[in-house]
Amino acid sequence: MPMKDRPKPGMPPGALPMLILRVLQTRSLHGYAIAQRIHLLSSEVLAVEEGLLYPTLQKMLVKGWVTAEWGVSETNRKVRFYSLTPEGRSCLQTELSDYGRVTQAIQDILRTA
Amino acid sequence: MGEIFRRIRYLLRRRRFDAELENDMEFHREMAARQGRSNFGNVLRMREQAREAWGWTWLDRLVQDLRYAARTLARSPGFTLTAVLVLAIGIGVNVSAFSLFNMVALKPLPVRDPDSIVRLERRSPQSYTSEMPYASAIFYRDHAKSLSAMMAVLGVPPMVVDNDLQPIPASFVTPNMFAELGTVPAYGRLFDPAREAASDAPPTVVLSYGLWQRRFGADPSVVGGTVYLNGKPATVIGVTPYDFAGLGGGGPDLWLPMAQQPYFVEGSKVLTDPSAGSVRMWGRLAPGVSPKMAAQELRTLTNELRRQYPKEIWDNEYIDIKPGAHLQVMQPEMYRVAAMVAVLTLLILAVACANLGGLLLARAVTREHEMGIRIAIGASRGRIFRQLCTESLFLAFLGAAAGLGLSYAVLQVALSRLDTPKWVTATPDWRVLLFTLGISVLAALFFGLTPALQIARQRQRKTIARQVLIGAQVAASCVLLIVAGLLVRASLHALYTDPGFGYEQLLSVDPELGQHGYTPADAQAFLTQMRSRLLAVPGVKSVSLVKLPPLGHTISRMDTEIDGHSVAIYPNWVDSGFFRTMGIPLLLGRSFYSGEKNAVIVSQSLARKEWPGLNPIGQKFKNGDDSFLVVGVAGNARVNAINDDDAVEVYWPAQLADMADMVVMVKAAREPGTLPPIVKSISASLDPKLFPETRQIKSLYHDNVLGVERVAMVVSLIGFVAVMVAGVGIIGLVSFSVSQRLKEIAIRLALGAKKIQVLAAVLRQFAWPIVLGMVVGTGIAAAASKVLRRALYGVDNLDPASYAVAILVLLAIVGLAALLPTRRALRLDLAKTLHYE
Repeated sequence: MPMKDRPKPGMPPGALPMLILRVLQTRSLHGYAIAQRIHLLSSEVLAVEEGLLYPTLQKMLVKGWVTAEWGVSETNRKVRFYSLTPEGRSCLQTELSDYGRVTQAIQDILRTA
Repeated sequence: MGEIFRRIRYLLRRRRFDAELENDMEFHREMAARQGRSNFGNVLRMREQAREAWGWTWLDRLVQDLRYAARTLARSPGFTLTAVLVLAIGIGVNVSAFSLFNMVALKPLPVRDPDSIVRLERRSPQSYTSEMPYASAIFYRDHAKSLSAMMAVLGVPPMVVDNDLQPIPASFVTPNMFAELGTVPAYGRLFDPAREAASDAPPTVVLSYGLWQRRFGADPSVVGGTVYLNGKPATVIGVTPYDFAGLGGGGPDLWLPMAQQPYFVEGSKVLTDPSAGSVRMWGRLAPGVSPKMAAQELRTLTNELRRQYPKEIWDNEYIDIKPGAHLQVMQPEMYRVAAMVAVLTLLILAVACANLGGLLLARAVTREHEMGIRIAIGASRGRIFRQLCTESLFLAFLGAAAGLGLSYAVLQVALSRLDTPKWVTATPDWRVLLFTLGISVLAALFFGLTPALQIARQRQRKTIARQVLIGAQVAASCVLLIVAGLLVRASLHALYTDPGFGYEQLLSVDPELGQHGYTPADAQAFLTQMRSRLLAVPGVKSVSLVKLPPLGHTISRMDTEIDGHSVAIYPNWVDSGFFRTMGIPLLLGRSFYSGEKNAVIVSQSLARKEWPGLNPIGQKFKNGDDSFLVVGVAGNARVNAINDDDAVEVYWPAQLADMADMVVMVKAAREPGTLPPIVKSISASLDPKLFPETRQIKSLYHDNVLGVERVAMVVSLIGFVAVMVAGVGIIGLVSFSVSQRLKEIAIRLALGAKKIQVLAAVLRQFAWPIVLGMVVGTGIAAAASKVLRRALYGVDNLDPASYAVAILVLLAIVGLAALLPTRRALRLDLAKTLHYE
């Protein structure tokens, strides 16, 4: 199949929460900014759809990893800004180390098998 | 933990949270549009997914389903009303039965700390008695550390108040009873252990509220005044409250302190005699003590007591501890009856549910359209099934509410007819409500499961479900009708058959000689004089002596095994004239000689069981280590066990030692009602301190029978209602079946089929469920009625007449129910039917 016609590689399932946590580690952002940042930082490889972003954010709110505060956007609109909680920070650490281990394992197999 | 709080916060502020989310998403879309990307997607779906994260979708769906169910039910009011009515009857009957059981056995008396009150009775593997000697009770009280208090009640024959003709029921109680129960007097004061414990304290009496109203006109000045009880003065110190809850139900109207018993009953040694078993004993467990621990300690004490009085305590005797603070202290036989009633009421529920299930199935066809649309829109089968189950539950709860109301009304009526203490109300408590909840869920399962499964799978065409439902209804109705028939037969039998002795003309006169301190020799002298004076009275035909009079206060029973069957033997001690006075025929041998010692007379059934095929005269009857010579065989006479047809009797000749406990039986020539005043004056002239208890056996017998009559009436009514409900259900299912096949019927008729053939074709599918239902129902009834044996007054539990009548009635109703709709169908206008599609 020619490159153009192949569907773009999507986000690996379950990676989004980790990415959101990482993005929020340094600053609080509103929902659109989070999607933007992920898209930018991944050199436009990963695009987060609304339909995935907001449900994931809600789940993280339920679990207590992030909180939402009202703030004003760059366009002078009232919108909620999400920030990490202490539980969220420790969760990020766990996720990062887990992911690191798994990736390392996969790479080992791909290299040597 | 925090997660649950967050989720609850969401539930409470849902609207705000949802608005915030929408705002975020709108903003996101604005920003995206600004940058030229219109990545909208399905907004509603996104919002739904986001909301799902909070985990309350099940609640949303439930509310949605309930609303839908309410609307659907409101759209077909006829069906809903029928369904609720049917459920109300089915659930209401069960709730009523449970409420009664709750009232009697589960609800604690409204006294102080009811859970620690226990009832103590003497029991051994061979014997049982509900009363014990006061001396033993004192012994246990003084030595048992596991009991923090002991209360005893001594029942005595009714006492004469001042100069009244009608005596009033009275009891002697330990002075701590009212204090332990936490009773608050309506007027005056109640017993105080400090003041009423001594036997030389001034005699006091407490009146019941009812007596104070009836006899003393609710006059407060009675308190502090003097009344004469059996001729002895006592000071009235107070009145119990209107809704007084006492131990052991059926309260007396007079309470007297235990220590005063010898004062009122002159010469009585009841309080000190270790062989006089006469008080009912209750105790309160010490804090932290379990009944098991108390039972163990009491067992040790019983053994200790046996060492002091080896003749009074049985081998292997122990004190049986039961919860004491209920309306009725439950004995094992009562649980069996309760279980039987429970099964019957559940059967009625089964009939109601089968009925309703059939209705729902019929309705399912009309909902095909609706279901089709829903599935087309995208509803999963699981979702539809869930919604149908919710609908069933909703219907069940509506029925339960109606049933609760119905049972409340029924209970109010029942309470007003029965003689219950004033604190008993018909208002349901938490146990009854919990039971109603459970029963309605059960009912929803019964009637809702099959239709829901069928509808969800869109397989209504199969008739098997309908047939099973009809079969179940028929089976349940069959059982109910048969049991009702048996009980009706039993009560007729009880009214018109002979219990084996001539109760119509008998009078029992209990002078309570032993209670008044008579020695056996004195007692014999008194009884001889009494007998000769009575025989001189023109209305008296014969006089004899018996220790345990018929329908008396005390029963004695020995359970033994003969040939592997357990047999209940009712012993008695009688004089030689007993059989003639009581009208019990002597079939073989002879009655006792006076003064005979080692002889027994056995009843006919016992002779047949113990020595089948042999001549019983001359055989030896063994009781423990002693053996007695059988000198006579008497006809069966259930003197002490009217309701127990399997009972057998053994009679021992009364000895000198028994004389103080004997009761005089008087056979009147005609009306026994004229005799009591004569008896009273004879007794008074012989010894004025005696107040013998005179009872007419005829009225006692009729009271006993009345109970069975009432039960039979109620059961017949219930059986009838169940059959009607089943009949209506069958009519519904058959007419539905017929309506489905209208076209087929019309074609057949047009082609020239005879009406009978068409009928047969349509009804054939119902033939085998009905037959199978009857067979199963009869089998279950036969098995279940075995439990009823004791209550059936000797009607065989396989009595063919009852079974035949019940089955015929059921067949008639079923036949009618099946034929009515089909007859209507057969008178169709053929042309119209064939054109209509």
